[in-house]
Amino acid sequence: MTHPASGTPVPDDVAIRLVGLTKRFGGTTVVDHLDLDIRKGEFFSLLGPSGCGKTTTLRMIAGFSDATEGSVVLGGTDVTSVPPHKRNVNTVFQSYALFEHLDVAGNVGFGLRRKGLDKAEIARRVTEMLELVELGARSKSKPRELSGGQKQRVALARALVNRPEVLLLDEPLAALDLKLRRQMQVELKNIQREVGITFVFVTHDQDEALTMSDRVAIMNSGVIEQCGTPEDVYERPRTAFAAGFIGTSNLMTGTYSGGELTLAPGITVPLPGHPDLVDGSTTSIAVRPEKIWMYEFEPAMVRIAGTVVATVYHGATTQYLVDVAPDVRVTVLEQNLVRSRNEDRWADGDSIELGWQPDHAVVIH
Amino acid sequence: MTTLDAAAASSATPSATTPVAPAPARRRRRSVEGRPRIAVAFTALFFVVLYLPIVVVVLFSFNSRKSLSSFESFSTRWYVQFFNDDALLSSLRASLVISGVAMVGSLILGTMLALALERVSSRPSRILGTTALVPLVTPEIVTGVAALLLFTGLGIKLSLMTVIIAEITFSISYVAVIVRGRLSAMSDDVEEAARDLGCTPFQAVRLVILPAILPALVASGLLVFALVFDDFVLAFFTTGVDPQPLPVRIYSQIRLSISPAINAVGTCMMLVSILLIAFSLVVPRLFGRRDSGLDLISGG
Amino acid sequence: MAASTRDTDVEPTRTRRSASHTRLWGWLLLPPAAWMMAFFVSSIIIVVLLSFGHVGPTGRPVFGASGANYAALWNETYLSVFLRSVVYASLTVLLCLLIGYPVAYTIALHGGRYKNALVAALVIPFFASYLIRMYAWSTLLSDEGLVNQALRWFGLSEGVRFLNTPGAVVAGLTYGFVIFMVLPVYASLERMDLALIEAGKDLYHGPLRTFFAVTLPATRAGVLGGVLLVLLPALGDFVSAQLLGGPSTFMIGNLIQQQFFESQNQPLGSALTVVLMIALLVFMVFYLRSTDRQRRES
Repeated sequence: MTHPASGTPVPDDVAIRLVGLTKRFGGTTVVDHLDLDIRKGEFFSLLGPSGCGKTTTLRMIAGFSDATEGSVVLGGTDVTSVPPHKRNVNTVFQSYALFEHLDVAGNVGFGLRRKGLDKAEIARRVTEMLELVELGARSKSKPRELSGGQKQRVALARALVNRPEVLLLDEPLAALDLKLRRQMQVELKNIQREVGITFVFVTHDQDEALTMSDRVAIMNSGVIEQCGTPEDVYERPRTAFAAGFIGTSNLMTGTYSGGELTLAPGITVPLPGHPDLVDGSTTSIAVRPEKIWMYEFEPAMVRIAGTVVATVYHGATTQYLVDVAPDVRVTVLEQNLVRSRNEDRWADGDSIELGWQPDHAVVIH
Repeated sequence: MTTLDAAAASSATPSATTPVAPAPARRRRRSVEGRPRIAVAFTALFFVVLYLPIVVVVLFSFNSRKSLSSFESFSTRWYVQFFNDDALLSSLRASLVISGVAMVGSLILGTMLALALERVSSRPSRILGTTALVPLVTPEIVTGVAALLLFTGLGIKLSLMTVIIAEITFSISYVAVIVRGRLSAMSDDVEEAARDLGCTPFQAVRLVILPAILPALVASGLLVFALVFDDFVLAFFTTGVDPQPLPVRIYSQIRLSISPAINAVGTCMMLVSILLIAFSLVVPRLFGRRDSGLDLISGG
Repeated sequence: MAASTRDTDVEPTRTRRSASHTRLWGWLLLPPAAWMMAFFVSSIIIVVLLSFGHVGPTGRPVFGASGANYAALWNETYLSVFLRSVVYASLTVLLCLLIGYPVAYTIALHGGRYKNALVAALVIPFFASYLIRMYAWSTLLSDEGLVNQALRWFGLSEGVRFLNTPGAVVAGLTYGFVIFMVLPVYASLERMDLALIEAGKDLYHGPLRTFFAVTLPATRAGVLGGVLLVLLPALGDFVSAQLLGGPSTFMIGNLIQQQFFESQNQPLGSALTVVLMIALLVFMVFYLRSTDRQRRES
């Protein structure tokens, strides 16, 4: 997590700096002393469940919502008390929020007309932007004549055409169906690469965040639980929430002692390579289901015993639920590479062994 | 009505108990058909009665005789008489002025009210705003009596002005309800999008919100004009002696003696309001929306 | 999945906007609120105050604090008019329901693609001057009017006296306000899930039982709304009784009108108006409570 000290000069490559940003509604703290640097040209995602404060954070960056405490620094300038129309950011709304009385070109050119650009310049940039979002042929259409995906592109073009320092996207794909959403994810990422503008993308969809972002901040209850590259947050979750919110994770909690984690009396999990852990401390580890092996173990793997309690066939994979200790149930995901060999299937009640590479067990703080 | 029959038959779907086979389906359809036929006949009769007085007024306005019960031959003498009657004409002018001014006044105040009610969240202002909707459920005679007492109590001489004030008070709520319906159907994001794209709060209202609610403004403007133009009760209580609004003038004439000239005036009045209302119903379509003005009116 | 969700899903809309923003809209509220205060609320207050006053020696109304006007209303003449008004208005509501419901039902369920046109056809005559339409009925129903001519022509009757009868007044009120029943009922039928009726046909057998067990309860809100919307203007009307009736069918509205334009007793007229307002308030409270109950039940 980035913790820029307030008062220090903002480096040139930082597009947005949030310093102790806080929002309270009545007694509820929705955003709690957020410190964050978002770099220029970055595709940055705020990922979290509904109510985690991600949209409120976005609204404070845009200026729609006043910060209770803290500040928003945009391109080196503190804009905390600057009204939205004077901030050099633009927003793509979840509802698209297109102007129904204007046609597509009118919508896209709206911001440029506000800036007082001359007509020829506006027309040129609108055409260029509509080409980019592949809507060149629909410039005279009214928003209601467009499909959901097309409206989405208009909303994107309307914001991007202003060449903002930062583009804010508030769950822009949530209203689209799955297939279109996948398609737009790819296009959005391509467009971002092409224009090179900083994108701040709010979503509750972990897939979306992982596939599109350069960096992801996982938010929960108004604070950032973890911030890093998609690989970082997936492979090395720092908190139980981060481990649980992105994908599924097997969380095992016990007492650490001499390279082992005791889950229950007599049941231990080897936890080598953590000299920083104090003996006798309560420690949790998270292991991804696909990182756990059930056979053909490699020598370096740690191993524990367990009992199969359920088997769920998913086609490409099979999911096993395995009890390793009373109240500790582990999910294991196996690729069905050798499905036809029936002898490789385990039945409920079978005693088996599980194993994983030591560095696939991530210690949760 | 045959088309309505066909529509009724096609909408009568077989119930779930019927096996989906051609023959029983047809039998069932016939049995269901019987009921709508009575209902359709009843509805047709309803519409006949609904339009009967209007048709009679229009018809007898062209009667050459003075009679209101037997039609002799086509004549426009009552229209000629109407357009030569200075008192009636000045009443017509008065009514047009009242309706026009009341329309503009209530559009301005009603739109402000709708915008504020839709956006302001503090409790006292909400209560204040809700009070403004009370005239909608107050019988006109109460509003009329109250306005009369207010004006006489304040020593204001009854005139066209007092009628206009009373009509505005009564119409603000209509405009507010219709415009608010349109506003609440509009996402809050639209206004924020305008701000995001460089509009000051006032520019957002002018460039985005007002254009978006324009159909509702036009429709409610037409509606208010028609309502005020036709309104008798409020005008009756708040008008001065001269010139009287048209409905008040007609009322006193009806009570004195029944003259076919009333039919000519009535036909003109109804023509004005029916055109206005019919126009207000199609306004959203003129703006390219698929919904009709009916939603605006019946929604309130 | 350890996704803990708090119930503050999005920012509550009431507090969403920045303070400066709300102030802007607050200013917008000022002119209409001031207008309504000056010309509506204050005028209603004057009515209530004057109902406790009396007519001064010069014939001008004087404010006071006496219940004399209300005491004066407590006699057989006025009470019978109150009773008559309530009976006429109730009959009007009943007739509007009996006529309006089937019409709304037919248009909503069997109107097909003519639905909107039919509703428009319903709305349009309502906006043609009420006064003119009432006047038209008075000529239609007169002794030599078209209705009597038709009756004679068909040999049905030697002539019926319609005008100056309670029937004519109630018919006039029904004609004038039936639209207020049709529209809300139509709206609630439109909102209703038609599969309910189909399901009801399986459960209850017979269209009539289905109607009373399924359709009518589902449109209860529309019916209640319609009842109130018809009752309010019907109870305060004086045009129908004036043009289609006579002194023997006068309603409370006619009495109020008389006090202001003939007897010039404004305090007594105010007291009558207050009585009317109280009656309407009672119905309104009853309506709000029943819709409240319905909302809690569902």
